[in-house]
Amino acid sequence: MTTALTLTSGHRAGSAPTLIAAGEIDMSNAETFAAALAEALAGAGGTTLVVDLTAVEYLDSAGLAALFANADHIEVVAGPLLGPLLTVSGLADLITVR
Amino acid sequence: MFAAGGQVGRDLAAVDWAATPLGPPADWPQSLRTAVSILLSSRFPMWMGWGPQLTFFCNEAYRHDTLGGKYPWALGRSTSEVWSEIWSDVRPRVQNVLDTGEATWDEGLLLFVERSGYSEESYHTFSYSPLRDDDDTIVGLLCVVSEDTERVIGERRMATLRDLGSDRSVVRTEQEMLAFSSRQLAANLRDLPFTAIYLFGEDGGARLATRTGIAAGHPAVPETMAADDAAAVWPLALLSQGEPQLIELSGDLPAGDWPLPPTQALVTPLAQQGGTPNGFLVAALNRYRPLDDGYRGFVELTAGHVAAGIASARSYQAQQRRAEELAELDRAKTAFFSNISHEFRTPLTLIMGPVEELRGQLAGAEPQVREELEVIHRNGLRLGKLVNALLDFSRIEAGRMQARYEPVDLATTTADLASVFRSAFSRAGLSFEVDVRPLPEPVHLDRGMWEKVILNLLSNALKFTFDGGVRVSVRADGRHAVITVADTGVGVATDEMPRLFERFHRIENSRSRSNEGSGIGLALVQELVGLHRGTIAAESTAGAGTTFTIRLPFGAAHLPADALTPAASSGTRGTSADPFVQEALRWLPAQAAHEGVREESPQAPAAESDQRTPGVTASVLVADDNADMRDYLERLLRSAGHRVSVVGNGQLALEAARISNPDLIISDVMMPVMDGLQLVGALRGDPRTAGTPVLLLSARAGQEAAIEGLEAGADDYLFKPFSAAELLARVRANVELSRLRTGHARWRTALIDSLQEAFFVCDENGAVIEINAAFTDILGFGPEDLPYAPTHPWWPDAVSDSDAHQQVAEAFALLTGHTQGTYTIPVSHRDGHRLWVGAAFNQVQDPDSGRKVIVGTFRDVTAEHYAIQRESALAALGLRLSRSEDLTDALHGVLTELRELWQAPAVVAGVFDGAAVPTVTATDPDLRWAELPEPRRRALLALRDKPLLTAVTERSAGAGITIEHPHGTMALWIELGPARPFTEQDETLLALLAGHIGQGLHRIHQIDQQRETALALQRAILGPAQLPSGFAVRYEPASRPLRVGGDWYDTFPLADGRIGIVVGDCVGHGLRAATVMGQLRSACRALLLQDASPPAALMALDRFAALLPGAMCATVFCGVLDPDNGHLRYSSAGHPPAIVAHTDGATHLLDQGRSRPLGIRPDMPRPEAEHTMPARATLLLYTDGLVERRRQPLTTGIEQATAVVHDGRGSSVESLATAVMDKLAPAGGYDDDVALLVYRQPGPLELEFPAEATRLAPVRTALRGWLNRVGVDPATAQKVLVAAGEACSNAIEHGHRDTPGVIRLRAAATADDLHLTVVDSGRWKPPQPAENAHRGRGITLMRAFMHHVTVTTGTTGTVIDMQARIVP
Repeated sequence: MTTALTLTSGHRAGSAPTLIAAGEIDMSNAETFAAALAEALAGAGGTTLVVDLTAVEYLDSAGLAALFANADHIEVVAGPLLGPLLTVSGLADLITVR
Repeated sequence: MFAAGGQVGRDLAAVDWAATPLGPPADWPQSLRTAVSILLSSRFPMWMGWGPQLTFFCNEAYRHDTLGGKYPWALGRSTSEVWSEIWSDVRPRVQNVLDTGEATWDEGLLLFVERSGYSEESYHTFSYSPLRDDDDTIVGLLCVVSEDTERVIGERRMATLRDLGSDRSVVRTEQEMLAFSSRQLAANLRDLPFTAIYLFGEDGGARLATRTGIAAGHPAVPETMAADDAAAVWPLALLSQGEPQLIELSGDLPAGDWPLPPTQALVTPLAQQGGTPNGFLVAALNRYRPLDDGYRGFVELTAGHVAAGIASARSYQAQQRRAEELAELDRAKTAFFSNISHEFRTPLTLIMGPVEELRGQLAGAEPQVREELEVIHRNGLRLGKLVNALLDFSRIEAGRMQARYEPVDLATTTADLASVFRSAFSRAGLSFEVDVRPLPEPVHLDRGMWEKVILNLLSNALKFTFDGGVRVSVRADGRHAVITVADTGVGVATDEMPRLFERFHRIENSRSRSNEGSGIGLALVQELVGLHRGTIAAESTAGAGTTFTIRLPFGAAHLPADALTPAASSGTRGTSADPFVQEALRWLPAQAAHEGVREESPQAPAAESDQRTPGVTASVLVADDNADMRDYLERLLRSAGHRVSVVGNGQLALEAARISNPDLIISDVMMPVMDGLQLVGALRGDPRTAGTPVLLLSARAGQEAAIEGLEAGADDYLFKPFSAAELLARVRANVELSRLRTGHARWRTALIDSLQEAFFVCDENGAVIEINAAFTDILGFGPEDLPYAPTHPWWPDAVSDSDAHQQVAEAFALLTGHTQGTYTIPVSHRDGHRLWVGAAFNQVQDPDSGRKVIVGTFRDVTAEHYAIQRESALAALGLRLSRSEDLTDALHGVLTELRELWQAPAVVAGVFDGAAVPTVTATDPDLRWAELPEPRRRALLALRDKPLLTAVTERSAGAGITIEHPHGTMALWIELGPARPFTEQDETLLALLAGHIGQGLHRIHQIDQQRETALALQRAILGPAQLPSGFAVRYEPASRPLRVGGDWYDTFPLADGRIGIVVGDCVGHGLRAATVMGQLRSACRALLLQDASPPAALMALDRFAALLPGAMCATVFCGVLDPDNGHLRYSSAGHPPAIVAHTDGATHLLDQGRSRPLGIRPDMPRPEAEHTMPARATLLLYTDGLVERRRQPLTTGIEQATAVVHDGRGSSVESLATAVMDKLAPAGGYDDDVALLVYRQPGPLELEFPAEATRLAPVRTALRGWLNRVGVDPATAQKVLVAAGEACSNAIEHGHRDTPGVIRLRAAATADDLHLTVVDSGRWKPPQPAENAHRGRGITLMRAFMHHVTVTTGTTGTVIDMQARIVP
């Protein structure tokens, strides 16, 4: 049983390109997440990608690694559940976290 | 406040304080309360006064020591009232303290107190110190008192007694003595206000000797009192009987040192030893002290001193009188001798004259007549010589010696006199040298006197010289002629020299040719020399000889002129020489035949038997130094038919008696070498001659001489002169008596010899001096070698058999050191074999000698000894075996027992159980086969092939035997000490023991197997080995070594995921209860598995219990727990309530759903109750053994248990279970079964999954669900999830990158904490951020989100341990 994760890319008019993740990200699907992130960044065409993690219930260091790898090009939107993780890991110091 | 004061406290409490200035105690200031408490709790005597009137308090010690009869009246009164009689003394001191606040100190102050009903002289050392109120003003005082009365008075009396007893050597007369005493008594007018000493007169009346403290002529001390004066001041009649009298006094009397005169006097007789009192002492008594034992003793000691003084003064006077009387007696004696000697001379002359004539007329008569006549002649001469000497003495003493001094050629005269003795010296084998030089002028001599001087000296020299010779010399020395007589004889001891010339003094115990003599020879010589105005001196060395030196002045100027006569014809010799020479010759052996013992020839008795007169005949040994007396006695006794041997002194008699053992010994008392008394002592001291009767003959008449002889052990005593008939009668009587006595002895000997038991007599040193036939039979030692001195020859050897030797030595100490006793000891027969004897002995006084002897008997107990040894060894072995817990223990016990039995240094056993080397067991517990010395290993290996149960002894090494051990053949070796021989009996015993050991080991082996079976069965009915998670259990059985009992716990998963929980308690404990318990437990489990309803299960159990003996009244707590939500349904059959502790600290007792114990009213329904345990709540189920204590309600124990659970809600269930058991254990351990079960909701999460990334999500789901049940808030849960996820990811990525493996996760909760463990079977690497940034981040996250993280990497895997606080 693989970890449940839904990834949706959006690029609505008038707003930044967005990657919305829902479910859990761990080492079993971190690569999927990283791939989706890369694809979304490519699609963003140089503008900052907003990664919406509001619906992510679990994120571990593998998922964090994908975020760190693209820290210069992304913004992260996260709920209170992931807040401490992003702060502790130091990601919040590098990128904008909403 | 008063509670500490004992009786005084109670009495103080009873005082109506409201009526005192202090008011009721409730209103007292704190300072007063404190003061009272201090006072009451002190054991030092104290009183205090408080307030304006100094209201009086005191403590127990003061009451006892000082207050006396004023108690309890004094409590609460004003001090001035309490001590009104001494207030005038006390008041200034009190006022001073109150005014100045300074403490007072008085030492030994005399106070007259009225505490015992009279005004009493008393001395006190005390200190008053101020007492202050709460506001620091002085409101009272505290007095600490110690009473010195006894000390002060005691010292005063001692001083008087000491002075009385002080040196009064200068006090001689009675008057001086009385004056001395009087001075001492007058110095103590306190204890002796006045005294008087009266002395009794001849008529029984008394006269005043001295007095103190009272004037002469006072009516109380009349100068004299008549014996029959009934109105006399002092009771003379009573006092003369020796009893002290207490007399009441009245009238106008002197008061001594006191204000008031005495009211009593103690009149004490002045006792004298063994007689009526000499007088009496009147001692007026101090009215301020009671007449107690001390006072009475003082007066009596005082009287004793006075009495002793009077007695010694009187005895001094008596001694002086006696000395004067003795001087008078001496004068009378001299006169008597003088008279009696004259009287002797007349009859002597009339004897000697006719005898001389008869000698002439009967010169041709038959030899016997001539011999008899010679005896008369010789003894007549001797008697005449003695009488003459006595007479000379008396004359000299009385100053009536008529000397006639004529000028004499001293050299020639002396040489002539000396030559008379030449033949006697020659006969004695002594050299005799006369060395005279011509003198320049004559010496004035009385020839008769001079003869006596020289003859006495020569006779003396012959008597005491045995070797060498005698030398006489005459020479001139200035104005003196010097004559010496020097011998090489026995000499005179230095301490005897001063008395050498003393009249009648004879030197005792010196060796001489004859013991005859009167002791006046030398005294006379000195007197005679003195009459010539010469001097005589003696020099002597004991054992070397004596030299007498006489110095006579030349000329005649020194002599009275009227006594001088012209020279008579020179060269003539007086007749006085004859008796001297005759006597001397009789001391010497006349012929060779006379020497030593003259014995009859062996054939003689038969030849003489015809001559015997009818009656008793006996063998008689005669000892006398006087040859005439010897011959006379021999003739006399032979004539009566006795067989006679004669000897010349005691030593020869003793030797003869030891050889010939005569029927009777007749001995003179005074003999040279060994006298008669010494002979008797020596005879009595030798067992061979102790019974031989001795008849002593002595010339010393008088009762005392006879008593001395009889005391020495003589049987009879006869004085010279005696009649022949009397002597023969005494001889007959003594022989008959002796025969009668030896008849008893023979009878006694026969009796003792007939004893089956050995009989012996030891002297006080332990030497065996008498034995019987059985003694010889048993030990092989006969009477011929008696006495047997310790160490006796039958003692075991001290070196080769030291233990046995030691045993005998101890018994010997018992024998000689105790009055009676018994002992059993090993001894050696004369032929060397070992015996055991049981002996009993008694100390008795030898009725003859009065000495301590030990009489004992013994018998051969060898057989019994070995039987007992066997029995006790078997018993000890049996005990060891029966106490052993298993085979190993048993074998150890057996070896120890064998070692003790044989006192062996070591015992080794090797079991050949099929292994490469035998299994070794030894008394040294660490010994292994490899460490055994080679000879020992060889010995054990050799033993293996020997037949079973046959002892093998190796000389001076040890003994071995082979035994069948359950595991194979066992070779057993006993190492023996060098001093412990292994006898045949030992071998038999070892074989016997070995048989028992073999059987015992097999029996224990069987028991071992049975025990193992029992243990397996016990384990089967113990609680479940596998518990559902979250549970901890404990079980403690009351009956050891059983591991089961009547209590149980049970917990098991039910089909629907719920958990059955049961704790129960059957009646009783031990095996019986355990069997019931096992069945109830199984039944209850089965019932719950079938229907998860606690009341239904209990009701079914009710019916089951009704059928199961012993199950009635068991109590059971039965519950069903849903671990998902903590919901517990339960029902209790009379069981103590379960305890629940919540995280918030609240505790609950699950005391609903209760009903009767099992088996009572089986058909009645049972209730059910519910309780929902919130997250992390802790549940404790237990049996009553945990909480039930004697004399303590059950609830107390439950409260204690509740408290422990409450306090332990933060620890793991295992720790908590341990804590409960520890903290509730009574001092001596649990005495009832205890079962308990601890659970914490929810149980821990335990997951095991393959190390694959795909497993992370379901693990997370399970953990998230568990965290929810544990009640963790979502934020914390998220952190735990991340930390756990990182740990698992690490395990998957690093631990099992190459090899697939398994990961285990365990999560458990306490009230406040979470505890996570992730274990993998791989190997971790330390984080390397540069290379693998996000993995390093994983560790960082774990540390950030958990409070405590440890990673332990080992060869078998890695353990990550993480803790997080749930409650911030």
